Amino acid sequence: MKTITISSVPGFDEWRQVSRECLANLITPEDIIWQGAQATQDDLFGNIIDNASSNKTQRNLRIPKPLLMLLKYALCHQDESRFALCYRVLWRVIYENKNLIHLKTDDDVMQLYSMAKAVKRDAYKMSAFLRFREVILEGQEHFIAWYEPEHFCLEVKLDFFKTRFKNMRWSILTPYRAAHWNTETLVLEDNPDPSVVPNNDRIESYWLTYYSNIFNPARIKTNAMLSQMPKKYWKNMPETTLIDDMIKQSDARARKMISDGNTQQSD
Amino acid sequence: MHDKLIQKLEILSDAAKYDASCASGSAGKRHAGKAEKTGIGSLTGGAGICHSFTPDGRCVSLLKILMTNYCIYDCHYCINRVSSNVQRARFSVKETVDLTLNFYKRNYIEGLFLSSGIVGSPDITMESMVRIAKSLRLDHGFKGYIHLKTIPNASPELQAEAGLYADRLSINVEMPTQSSLNKYAPEKDLSDIHGSMNSLKDKIAEHKFDKTFSGKRPPRFAPGGQSTQMIIGADDSNDKTILGTSVKLYSQQKLRRVYYSAFSPIPHASEVLPLKPAPLIREHRLYQADWLLRFYGFELNEILQDDMLDMDYDPKLAWALRNRHLFPIDLNKADKQLLLRVPGLGARTVQKILSIRRNTKLNWVDLTKMRLPLKKLKPFISVGDYFPDIHLLDSNNFELQFKQPKQFELFSA
Repeated sequence: MKTITISSVPGFDEWRQVSRECLANLITPEDIIWQGAQATQDDLFGNIIDNASSNKTQRNLRIPKPLLMLLKYALCHQDESRFALCYRVLWRVIYENKNLIHLKTDDDVMQLYSMAKAVKRDAYKMSAFLRFREVILEGQEHFIAWYEPEHFCLEVKLDFFKTRFKNMRWSILTPYRAAHWNTETLVLEDNPDPSVVPNNDRIESYWLTYYSNIFNPARIKTNAMLSQMPKKYWKNMPETTLIDDMIKQSDARARKMISDGNTQQSD
Repeated sequence: MHDKLIQKLEILSDAAKYDASCASGSAGKRHAGKAEKTGIGSLTGGAGICHSFTPDGRCVSLLKILMTNYCIYDCHYCINRVSSNVQRARFSVKETVDLTLNFYKRNYIEGLFLSSGIVGSPDITMESMVRIAKSLRLDHGFKGYIHLKTIPNASPELQAEAGLYADRLSINVEMPTQSSLNKYAPEKDLSDIHGSMNSLKDKIAEHKFDKTFSGKRPPRFAPGGQSTQMIIGADDSNDKTILGTSVKLYSQQKLRRVYYSAFSPIPHASEVLPLKPAPLIREHRLYQADWLLRFYGFELNEILQDDMLDMDYDPKLAWALRNRHLFPIDLNKADKQLLLRVPGLGARTVQKILSIRRNTKLNWVDLTKMRLPLKKLKPFISVGDYFPDIHLLDSNNFELQFKQPKQFELFSA
């Protein structure tokens, strides 16, 4: 039994390289204990390979692209069991059944899909619910956002933000890592200081005005809203402070729309 | 920006909220190139991102505003008709452009959805709207989404220009028949609306497929296509008429999307309007039927037995209840078309079933793992180790188990 520590976060590249060597050396999933960066590093990976290298396979270790994408997403999940699961799936695909990922009701496959799906959804929500605030730095507009993803989603969405806001200077801060973009290069910074995030923005009041007026008080569907925008996302979205009052006042507003109509008709 | 602008925004977003078509559809991919030092925004290829949700359950994807709510028309269902005494306001071209860019930079929106009351004349109005889109694209290199609600009687030249800058164009038909339009929107003419839609359809098709002799594509023209909206329950049109109109709009005018908006009472309403909102469940059923027509291979006459959709059961379940002799359906053998007709199986689930089937046989335990609505599915299907009680489908009051409890409706009678 060997312990392998993935020290980077989310750890895809590191996991991939290690897995490749383990697969080549025929180290079975049952023989590895995977752990994330938080755990102590008590066993060095290099030893495993040396001990086992006599048992090396000649098999082609190419991973089909759809599976690779799936692994990439799943490995951004915050659950540390991701490393073991992904290795087990990879092992089974290579040594047991190359069509494994089509068996959508296999327990490992289901778990992999559900992890990848959770990450995709979380990453999508990041691109949707992240809010920039503007500051002037050295005479130039700079946009700063604080966002707390559930999984390690910053990496998943970097290309999206770089493409969409290419000619803007921006910083996205998450609890584990920040990304800074100056229109040309990207700089990553671990464990950033959240106090640099501004408390307000000159346009935010317009956004709040828009949000509260675009909604139709005659049709309240709070559950539909909550299923798409669960409360865990609310704290960094300025408009959500309005929701309680919007719901409370909706009945009166809707009744007023009708009574206004009725008054005119009886005139 | 200042308080006066906040006030305008209040009026002109409030006036836009009755339009249901909030989504930004797919219009291909687009973003600033590596060498472009200005410009902002992107289209990711799929449907636009929902940046927020309001308590009415709707997605906030675009800055949906009216350029102005002044209007020379007198459409009864419209809060902005000339005879209504609402507060009026008008955005300048620059104000609209700045607001869009400022919202976009903060990641509030995917783009702009601009419609307008008619000021001066249809052409004058349309011209200002086109200027807004043009300024966003040419002055600011805006690559986000733009949806313009075109003005029905504006000149063909202006409509053609609009298509160069907008991703989607739409004209609301509002009512499914000319007689309803006569009553509720006396200045609007159904054949004019269809005429505009047809000429846009031709332009869209032309720009999509034609290549010039040099092999270069002509400029983009409304790549997201056209959409429209019908108001449900303001006039007395039945579901058959409404869906019949939709089918024509999809097949003849090649619309991407028809939106249904349950009539909801507006302040200062005209006296020809009903006092009560149309039930939301009717709007919901129309969307379900619309989906079955477009993605599930159903024909209109299969969905509708009478003039109205069944409010108690969704249209697919209602169809299955009328065609019990076709069930149970073997999930291991039935073809895709038939699988799509099973109540409780969505298009994605069907895809999943087909993928699993290629490798292994489906058993009951697989269905439980797929988290399907088993209670609903049970009588209609069979799998490897499960076959339903054949008397079940024909038993008395079989359908009652699916009947949904009456939903609470605001102001229901």
